[in-house]
Amino acid sequence: MQHEIYLFGLNHKTADVEVREAFALGDCENFEQCLLDDGGAIRECLVLSTCNRVEILVASPAGSDAFQLALSRWAGYLHRDPEKLRPHIYAHEGLEAVRHIFRVASGLDSLVLGEPQILGQMKQAYRRSVESGSARVIINRLMHKAFSTAKLVRTSTGIGASAVSISYAAVELAKRIFGEMAGKKAMLIGAGEMAELAAVHLINAGVDEILVTNRTFSRAEDLAKRFKGRAIAFEELISRLPEADIVISSTGAPQTIIRAKDIKDVLKKRKHRPMFFIDIAVPRDIDPDVNNLDNVFLYDIDDLQEVVEENLAQRKEEALRAGEIVALQVERFGHWLKSLDLQPTIVDLLDQGSGIAEKELQKTLKRLGPDVSDETQRALELLAASISRKILHEPIVFLKRRSRENDGERFIDLTRRMFNLDKESAPTDAHADRKPEFDAGSENEC
Amino acid sequence: MEPVNALYLIVVALYFGGAVFQIGGALGRAERLRRLGNSLAIMGFALHTVDLALVLGLDRGLALLRGEFYFSLLAWSLLLIFFFLWWKLKLDFLGLLASPLALILFLSSQAVTASRLPLPKSLSGLFFGLHIGALFLSISLLAMACGAGMAYLYMERKIKTKEKLHGFARALPSLSAFDTTNLWAVRAGFPLYTLGLLSGFFWAKLTWNRIFSWDPKEITALFIWILFAFLFHQRMFLGWRGRKTAWMAIWVFSLTLISMLVINFLMPTHHSFVAQ
Repeated sequence: MQHEIYLFGLNHKTADVEVREAFALGDCENFEQCLLDDGGAIRECLVLSTCNRVEILVASPAGSDAFQLALSRWAGYLHRDPEKLRPHIYAHEGLEAVRHIFRVASGLDSLVLGEPQILGQMKQAYRRSVESGSARVIINRLMHKAFSTAKLVRTSTGIGASAVSISYAAVELAKRIFGEMAGKKAMLIGAGEMAELAAVHLINAGVDEILVTNRTFSRAEDLAKRFKGRAIAFEELISRLPEADIVISSTGAPQTIIRAKDIKDVLKKRKHRPMFFIDIAVPRDIDPDVNNLDNVFLYDIDDLQEVVEENLAQRKEEALRAGEIVALQVERFGHWLKSLDLQPTIVDLLDQGSGIAEKELQKTLKRLGPDVSDETQRALELLAASISRKILHEPIVFLKRRSRENDGERFIDLTRRMFNLDKESAPTDAHADRKPEFDAGSENEC
Repeated sequence: MEPVNALYLIVVALYFGGAVFQIGGALGRAERLRRLGNSLAIMGFALHTVDLALVLGLDRGLALLRGEFYFSLLAWSLLLIFFFLWWKLKLDFLGLLASPLALILFLSSQAVTASRLPLPKSLSGLFFGLHIGALFLSISLLAMACGAGMAYLYMERKIKTKEKLHGFARALPSLSAFDTTNLWAVRAGFPLYTLGLLSGFFWAKLTWNRIFSWDPKEITALFIWILFAFLFHQRMFLGWRGRKTAWMAIWVFSLTLISMLVINFLMPTHHSFVAQ
């Protein structure tokens, strides 16, 4: 039975946040079961629901009206009007659906181009649907290929190479200056979302300790507790500055709080070990002249913004290259999908058998020398050909019988793999469908 | 073809391949290519060692009188330092500097084939060996520091002026890595340079019965030593780092290079590589 792949969904481009909230599928597992229970029109399915998108991936017998079915199930499941959902939905079929999944996995469809968090969420969704049995041969293979495509895109293009958030760009710059973050201390002056985010990134990158200071000391203490750091009285700021390698300043002070001449003394006390100042306050907290000192680097919010914009532009270029990689992988998947039919598989099996017979026959004839009579040669040819045919007879009968069943592709796929008809070398994660792997601590898109 | 000559060609080919693949790999961000370059350089180095040993073994007296031997030895010690720093500091970028430099020095060692060092026959082995060995190691270290210094200045300007980092600059390591190279070159290089000079003077005393002969090479060497001592002092005791030490290393190495190329070839000196 020939199956087709369908994909329906909505994302941040087609639906605004109210719609996405209204039609999010929090309980994907039940919904998958609900789709599968529908009289066999849907054979396999996988549902991915994040705050930026809902993707419903379905394998159905060709020609079935999977779209209508999924749409009404989806709205019905949430007790909402399908007509409210319809205008926000995109629907892809066949290789277009495959392409869409590959693009999503590679981060090419993400809100921030190239951000990889979605991949972890897809892996989670995939594991869940393998365990519950709603993903089988086709979706299994499709997701595996989606993950390997995502990996390929990540390693062979620079799409994820550079930071596209201000706080992360600051950490990247710190790495350019210091190399390793281990053994470094960072100081937060003032609080604010961006400064705190940068602190989190710095801790993740391996910074030893965070010092926190604020005009209101209790606020500093709160933050210090959160980052397992130390709070410092605001008056001690300059005297404690020599300890800090990285300084993130974001106070609401109307005038500069760190002057270049203060830093000269600080540097002497530090034996000129380099310092990196990140000034995300407006108006600025740190005298711009600080940047002119040797071994001191100062970036303000505009500088960081510029870095981020350049990196984003670069990601767009890399996305074009990524698109080419995806196209190639989609084509390969298409080949596999076509081969999942009974007839081509039988032809491939017989071809492989007669190929082996022919090869062995030639070897034997060579060994026997030129004196073999025509009669013997014909007998040998017949022997080799009939052995290969007879050995394959039972598997083919079995395959013909089982492929008429509901789960037919499973046996075809198994046969193709068992006889290596697609001439693939076994991937290192060949058994991952039995034990899906996880990225430890992978972040979520939201 | 003599076996030594064939060996020479193979070493040149390996160094050349190493340099091309390392630079190509770094530019194209192709890790495999760069590793291939590294392996070629390592193989070249191994054969280079054999070559040096053969030259010494075939005719020790003749080898020590030939300028090419010293250039070859300099190339060899440069790579020795590179491999050491590579292993110790995990600084891959040094390969970008070391292989091309080693190739140039090794090639130029053949350019001076015609010349003969007018050395007196009585080589008081230990001091002569120390003189050459210690000086060449420290010059190699200086070459590293010079390359790292240029890279440091380039990167530092980019970061200070908030310029965009493109392909190649993006692949470079951190400022601190370049500065650490400088630290190593100064910390190990200055004592070695001092040792090299002192053993030279001892050797002169033993051979010519005078310590200092106002040879142009000796005068520049002393001048370089003073600069190097200043760099050593500022770096180790006053905490200089970054820009200033990068510039100093570049200056000291450039002077060394000039003194080697100009004085050893063009000026009348008992360090000359040119036949007299």
